Amino acid sequence: MNYKDYYAALGVPRDADLDAIKKAYRKLAREHHPDMSKAPGAEARFKEVAEAYATLKDPEKRVAYDELGRHPAGEPFSPPPQWGRDHATNGSAFDEMDLEDLLAAMGRGRRDPRQGPMPRDGRDLETTIRISLEDAHRGRTVHLSLDDGGQERTLEVSVPPGVRDGQKLRLRGKGGKGQNGGTDGDIYLHITLAPHRIFRTDHQDLYFDLVLTPWEAALGTETEVPTLDGPVMLTVPPGTRSGRKLRLRGRGLANGRSAAGDLYAVVLIDVPATLTERERELFEALAKDSSFHPRTAPTGATS
Amino acid sequence: MNTNMQAVEWVWLDEVQSVTLPELARVCGISTADVDELVEYGALQPLQTGPSEADLRMFSADCVTRMRTASKLRLDFDLDLFAVALLLDHIQRIETLEQQVRSLQAQLPKRH
Repeated sequence: MNYKDYYAALGVPRDADLDAIKKAYRKLAREHHPDMSKAPGAEARFKEVAEAYATLKDPEKRVAYDELGRHPAGEPFSPPPQWGRDHATNGSAFDEMDLEDLLAAMGRGRRDPRQGPMPRDGRDLETTIRISLEDAHRGRTVHLSLDDGGQERTLEVSVPPGVRDGQKLRLRGKGGKGQNGGTDGDIYLHITLAPHRIFRTDHQDLYFDLVLTPWEAALGTETEVPTLDGPVMLTVPPGTRSGRKLRLRGRGLANGRSAAGDLYAVVLIDVPATLTERERELFEALAKDSSFHPRTAPTGATS
Repeated sequence: MNTNMQAVEWVWLDEVQSVTLPELARVCGISTADVDELVEYGALQPLQTGPSEADLRMFSADCVTRMRTASKLRLDFDLDLFAVALLLDHIQRIETLEQQVRSLQAQLPKRH
């Protein structure tokens, strides 16, 4: 490890006051924050400025650091054993550095060896899985690949029936291992549902488009419609208007804790793009004889 | 590669589940005093669980990921706790709006 010039990292003069240091840090942090910048090296740069700021914002650490400041950047120096330890339980880029460690590094003091190694909490791991609608409905066992501090690890997780899009789950104590008596980290799992060929989801409810001919919509019909548990017969009542939603109660997504959601058929009325001669005759006869005038009719609910 | 296969039980982070005050503070990496202050700012509401000890107060598990996001921003940008209270409010509004967009998209016909 080489001596790092924290002032240079933040781009501030050595006599900068706390306000200037904070301002410089926030500006750089915003620019390089991994959530905001996808540029290569952004995360490393963010950690660098975070490390610099963690020391310079603390008056005592800053004084101690300034004593090191006569070293030219890049000159080897021996860091304390805890220098880079990842203490942040929430996965933040901040590495907590103890002044004690810093002073120890400069020969100002020594950690009492009788204290033993510092307890260190395990890291929390966050990951997102995308599952199909069918799997969300029936539940399934998935294998999570986790990058745990450079070590790959597979975790078998049984997803219960009825998980919803955007749902978050926590697997307690299955994250990084705590050390020296520290608590094991957790796993946070974000669930997204893959788009489905037919169904759209809203919480536990499912929607799909039911395309009808004008005469089916006017006269009513019985038709086979898809559900996650196989096709069922749906009765379309006479006079079904476009945009109306026909509900199939309990045919939505399963719910592990309560009744299943509902399935909605969203009615769309389609017409032939080109008409046969006979179709044209019939439509023309209908046009001539019909008393239906939707644009002058009193407006009412369309569903 | 170290393949370590384990069967694991879920804990749902939603409004049906709840977390205790110390647990919420722990998973967010903040102090229980900070959680109390967020409650004072109105950014967080404990569940009504009757007259219980302060330390036994419960919160909806629904707030856990929101709290973690806000707490991480606090650390990463050295924000004060009041800013975290504002962030929590805005994160919740974004979540609600995103959910509404998803709901409306589900109800809109895809064809035409």
